[in-house]
Amino acid sequence: MMPIILNTENLNKKFGGVSAVFDTTIQVEDKKLTAIIGPNGAGKTTFFNLVTGRLRPTSGKVFYKGHDITHSSPHKLAQIGICRTFQINSLFLGLTVFENVRLAKQAKVGGSYKVFSLRKNLKDVNEGARTVLEEVGLQDKGSVIVSKLSYGDQRALELGIALACEPKVMLLDEPTAGMSQGETERLTNLIKELANSRAIVLVEHDVEMVMAISDNISVMNQGKIIAEGPPEEIRKNHLVREAYLGEED
Amino acid sequence: MNIEKSREQHVRSKENAIKYGFWLLLMFFLTLLPFLLPNPFYMRLVTELFIYGLLAMSLDVLLGYTGLLSFMHAAYMGIGAYSVGIFLTYVEIPPSLWLSFPLGVGIVLLIALPVGWLQVRTGGFAFALLTIAFGMMYYTLVWKSRDITGGDDGMIGIPKPDITIGNWSLGSTGDPLIMYYFTLFVVLICFLVTRRIIQSPFGAVLEGIRENEERASFIGYNIRRFKLLGWLLACCLAGVCGVLFTYLKGSVSPTMMDATAGGAVLMMTLLGGLGTLWGPFLGAALFIFGQDFISTLTEHWMVFMGLAVMLLVLFMPKGIGGMINQFLEKRQSTKGE
Repeated sequence: MMPIILNTENLNKKFGGVSAVFDTTIQVEDKKLTAIIGPNGAGKTTFFNLVTGRLRPTSGKVFYKGHDITHSSPHKLAQIGICRTFQINSLFLGLTVFENVRLAKQAKVGGSYKVFSLRKNLKDVNEGARTVLEEVGLQDKGSVIVSKLSYGDQRALELGIALACEPKVMLLDEPTAGMSQGETERLTNLIKELANSRAIVLVEHDVEMVMAISDNISVMNQGKIIAEGPPEEIRKNHLVREAYLGEED
Repeated sequence: MNIEKSREQHVRSKENAIKYGFWLLLMFFLTLLPFLLPNPFYMRLVTELFIYGLLAMSLDVLLGYTGLLSFMHAAYMGIGAYSVGIFLTYVEIPPSLWLSFPLGVGIVLLIALPVGWLQVRTGGFAFALLTIAFGMMYYTLVWKSRDITGGDDGMIGIPKPDITIGNWSLGSTGDPLIMYYFTLFVVLICFLVTRRIIQSPFGAVLEGIRENEERASFIGYNIRRFKLLGWLLACCLAGVCGVLFTYLKGSVSPTMMDATAGGAVLMMTLLGGLGTLWGPFLGAALFIFGQDFISTLTEHWMVFMGLAVMLLVLFMPKGIGGMINQFLEKRQSTKGE
């Protein structure tokens, strides 16, 4: 077993009287792919928001390598290596594809306070950005304004921006949603490959894809974790099969 | 591939040559302009245009590059103008450019820092509302401190310092010709420095915040800090405008920092086009000459100005600068094919 890089303890989030996330305790192993599945409204995205500082939990704690990061702001989390993607694309629409990734790389590598140098002079940043574009397959579209990009390419860029931050933990919120079959396959392979060198937490609707690439799966329903374990175990779990995988055979 | 590249390079170097040629020509024209104008009134009007152009440009840094709306940006010019006016009037030493200039800009920054610190802790709309609140506060303070600022009469007869470098004097800021060149020089330096900053990695972060504040923070940028720096840059430039204004006019009045003045700067910036830096200069020119022209025909010039702005917003949402950029891009893309 790999060391635990990220874990939550009894995480709770209430919106008014409704518990969106209830007593959620999850452990994420380093260099493994942990997936969170569950029906719509199960609390998966809320859970992501709690971990990445977009929302404050009502109670409970989040730890990164044993340090309490519960109340850290998103930019601090990104700086220590926790980056996420968004279910609904969150891009710099008026900038070029290259600039989107370059900006994220610059946040990681540095140089943001150099007020009198030119962007093109940050060699490490530019090279790093180019590498990321190749990884997500957008190397030929660097000069395109993002708002003119196809949806599938925007989805790939969404991942590319997070990747450029060189995260230790990457949280991907339905990365393949709305992508074509071919695009999904390519991205799935990429995600699997990325998990070799970092921890990945994946929220995904496509259960077959999750089963194929995950090391661990947590199943969420109505804000609670109802099952967790490796894919084969989840597949066998009667409760899960009934509720989320469909009772076909 | 190589041929294509070298052709592209050729086209680009040609475009660059045209661009630099244009800028050289413009500078040449602006240098000769004082001798082409019929009387000193117009020379002073053009000088004022440079100052308001710079002010509109500084609002472009805030609105067009950082995405922050300030309704009362003229207030920071007013603070700079009053600071210098009060200093030159009450401090009994020979009027000095080298003391009053940094003092005026420094006081603007001193006030803009805590105010900006507070403002960046709010969201977009609240930020804009707070700029009005603080703007009105400055205005009231100036209005009520009659003993020092002259209240609604303003201050007149402010001593004009000489422009000196070491023991060498270039002349008085009271001389319209000297002031014209001095203003042109300062505004040009400010423009070039700001353009450099906007093109820097720092400027890239400001653009990122304008495009998507939330994502900028999720990739690791402390957006409050960068917004504050953008705010300070804009206020610093507004301070420079204020100092130049006092030198030029030798007088200040509270109307230069009221809500109408704030709205006028916003109009100049929007007319000129956001996110271009040079566009707001065109906007200021149009606004000031338009005002000058229409007010010779009718005292209700604001009605026509309002109408013109409405039409421009409806049919040219990107302003004059945006239109010109679009035109240039189109020409470039048809040429490239």
